[in-house]
Amino acid sequence: MKLELKNISKNFHGVKALQDVDFQLKENSIHALLGENGAGKSTLVKILCGVYQPDSGSILLNNKQQSISDPSISLSLGISAIHQESVMFDELTVTENVFIGNHLTKSNGLVDWSSMQDKTHQLLKELEANIEPNEKIKDLSIAQRHIVQISRSLIHDADIVIMDEPTASLSQKEINELYAIIRNLKNQNKSIVFISHKLDEVMEVCDEFTVLRDGELIKSDLISNTNKDQLITHMAGREVNQIFPKNNVTIENEIFEVCNLFKKTQFKNINFNLRKKEILGFYGLVGSGRTEIMKSIFGITKLDEGEILFNDQKISITKPSDAIDQGIVYLSEERQQLGMTGLMSVKDNINMAIMDRNSNFYVMNTLKEIKNASAMQEKLNIKVSYWSQLTQSLSGGNQQKTVIAKWLSTKPKVLILDEPTKGIDVRSKSAVHEFMGELVEEGMSIMMISSELPEILGMCDRVVVMYKGLIRDILDVKKASSEQIVKLASGES
Amino acid sequence: MKKILINRDFILFSIILIGLIGVGFANPLFITPKSISDVLTDTSILIILALSQMIVILIRAIDLSVASNLALSGMLISLLSTVHPELPVYYFIALSCLIGTFLGVLNGISIAILKVPFIVTTLGTLSIYRGLIYFVSDGKQVYSNEFSEDFLALIHVKFLSLSFLFWLAVAVFIVIYILLNHTRFGRNLYSLGGNPDAAKYIGINENKYIIMAYSLSGFFAGLCGYLWVARYSVASTQIAIGFELTVISACVVGGISVMGGVGTVLGCVLGALLIGLIRNALPAVDISQFWQLAISGAIILLAIIINTKTEQRKEKTIMVEN
Repeated sequence: MKLELKNISKNFHGVKALQDVDFQLKENSIHALLGENGAGKSTLVKILCGVYQPDSGSILLNNKQQSISDPSISLSLGISAIHQESVMFDELTVTENVFIGNHLTKSNGLVDWSSMQDKTHQLLKELEANIEPNEKIKDLSIAQRHIVQISRSLIHDADIVIMDEPTASLSQKEINELYAIIRNLKNQNKSIVFISHKLDEVMEVCDEFTVLRDGELIKSDLISNTNKDQLITHMAGREVNQIFPKNNVTIENEIFEVCNLFKKTQFKNINFNLRKKEILGFYGLVGSGRTEIMKSIFGITKLDEGEILFNDQKISITKPSDAIDQGIVYLSEERQQLGMTGLMSVKDNINMAIMDRNSNFYVMNTLKEIKNASAMQEKLNIKVSYWSQLTQSLSGGNQQKTVIAKWLSTKPKVLILDEPTKGIDVRSKSAVHEFMGELVEEGMSIMMISSELPEILGMCDRVVVMYKGLIRDILDVKKASSEQIVKLASGES
Repeated sequence: MKKILINRDFILFSIILIGLIGVGFANPLFITPKSISDVLTDTSILIILALSQMIVILIRAIDLSVASNLALSGMLISLLSTVHPELPVYYFIALSCLIGTFLGVLNGISIAILKVPFIVTTLGTLSIYRGLIYFVSDGKQVYSNEFSEDFLALIHVKFLSLSFLFWLAVAVFIVIYILLNHTRFGRNLYSLGGNPDAAKYIGINENKYIIMAYSLSGFFAGLCGYLWVARYSVASTQIAIGFELTVISACVVGGISVMGGVGTVLGCVLGALLIGLIRNALPAVDISQFWQLAISGAIILLAIIINTKTEQRKEKTIMVEN
């Protein structure tokens, strides 16, 4: 056994992220680590990388107990990770990114640029990548960045390579090239931990799998002993329609429409409409342009061309306050950075967007503010101990409810939700879903960006599928299959 | 060729050259070798401090205490020299560097270990170190006649008709150039400033680098402490007051990004030279003293605007074709 984790547990502020998880990685094997968002995959990876320390449990590498108390120890043990989030240095060259933290030095102790350059050149040639060692990372595509990260693992002579959703933003051609590289790594006797949400690719590439759910080990076996449906059942652990209590509402007339939206290098030919009491989903890979469209509709970024119609009237939105005045609000996916002010109280956050309505002649009317805040708190069931409690001290779910309350205070007609349940626990998640159902019943229309297909299928009436800045199709969710949507979103036809 | 034209260092160099020619037309005396050598001498301390400030700015921090550090180190060795004029000058230089380093380490510990934000820490030590000068000197000055001959002689040594100060700045430039471009330590400073989270993943110990960066900044502030008192033959509570802002301006003009991780050693020196040129040229072209400060500020701002315009980042592309 190459690597063995035994009874690993990890808690964050009383929330269990991992509980008694075992994980075994064989030599020259590609091992899929599966689970829904929040299942504990990232935590496990971060423990292997030395970024987090487990609360209990042991790590055995080549049957020897190890303590990975620091990222540098993880690297020296031959564990290397290709992370989803950017762990590259944009302003530095390819060569330097490959050797980062491990610069070659000459006998006089100075950095040996020329041999690093040569080695990088040779390595990129072996990987058949068309990248110049002198290029800066900021000028590379996502696929090229992955290759640089893989080169980094090879330079560090890693035995274990962890890949966190390496194909998430790649085209099919790039994905095939990556598969070839991964198989090549395996042939060089390396073990690979492969994290992916695409089950087809897991079935194709991997040898073994481990499924986590809510921080617990559910199943670990050979890929050849399972099939896709079984994997889905392991991961979800429940029937899809059970977790999404979508109420039956009658969808009414069209209220919102966009025509030929275009923004240079970002998106073009964007046409869709939204009807009253409808939930319209936006599905696509991360970086397919969904957020960029919504930001333009909300007036944060400027459109190059296109019209927005509201109740059949052409409206002009040049800044967010225009959109808010029209009754269109946008809840950002970056809750912490763009949605709330953590050091302000829950009450102040809820009232942030309606200060003009809560004031008389520019003086705040505290009574109005408290009235609104308590109405919202009751409606959304936000758990606060006292009104002046700081928003940052709430759990992720309650923070998200606070942000939703802020926007509902403006009495919107169209609510744009960008990944509304990202990074919140299962219970808050279903509370948010339930609430979305209530809002449309009351007459609101919702546009929801989500990267979780079950959420799209469970909550939406129609779904707009995007790929690289273009709308591939708009499907009726009742008639669409998940395979069809995934295919469209990954650029296959 | 195109690459050279949009290179920031090249643009900065051109601005300096054009400025020099412009001033030369207005006042030919300004571009005589003697005058240029004087400008270089006058800018040397700024170059040294800008280079050491660059190390700190690279890791997304700032050291506001350099000028106070310089003044305190300078005052302490001056006081010692009045008591022990017989000691060799190298002794004073080493001691000044040592005091400076110690003061720098205090900054580093406060930021890295006590987690006091860098701006608060160095704003605090700016006052503390300055205040300590009053304490150790009783508010009195050390005048030129109180220094030993030896203490003041070194600064007037010339080589190839250029001053000791200039050659020292050249030496510091070479040392820092090698440090930042050809040692692991220097490269890790760039990665730490460019992406602190990612630096953590590759095992770079952030605290160690913060303390090291501030120690270096302190070391050079200490060195300049000696240089300053020896050059002007006076140590007082007021020396180099506000100079930290000039130093930071030089870095920013030189293209050292306050967002961290970006900037070249050459750019930093050019930034310092441009500021040195402005400070020396304005009096030479008969601009009223009342205007000098405002004009030099405007020129600095202009240089930064030109610099950032060339540097504006591309929006990330989503679409395959347009």
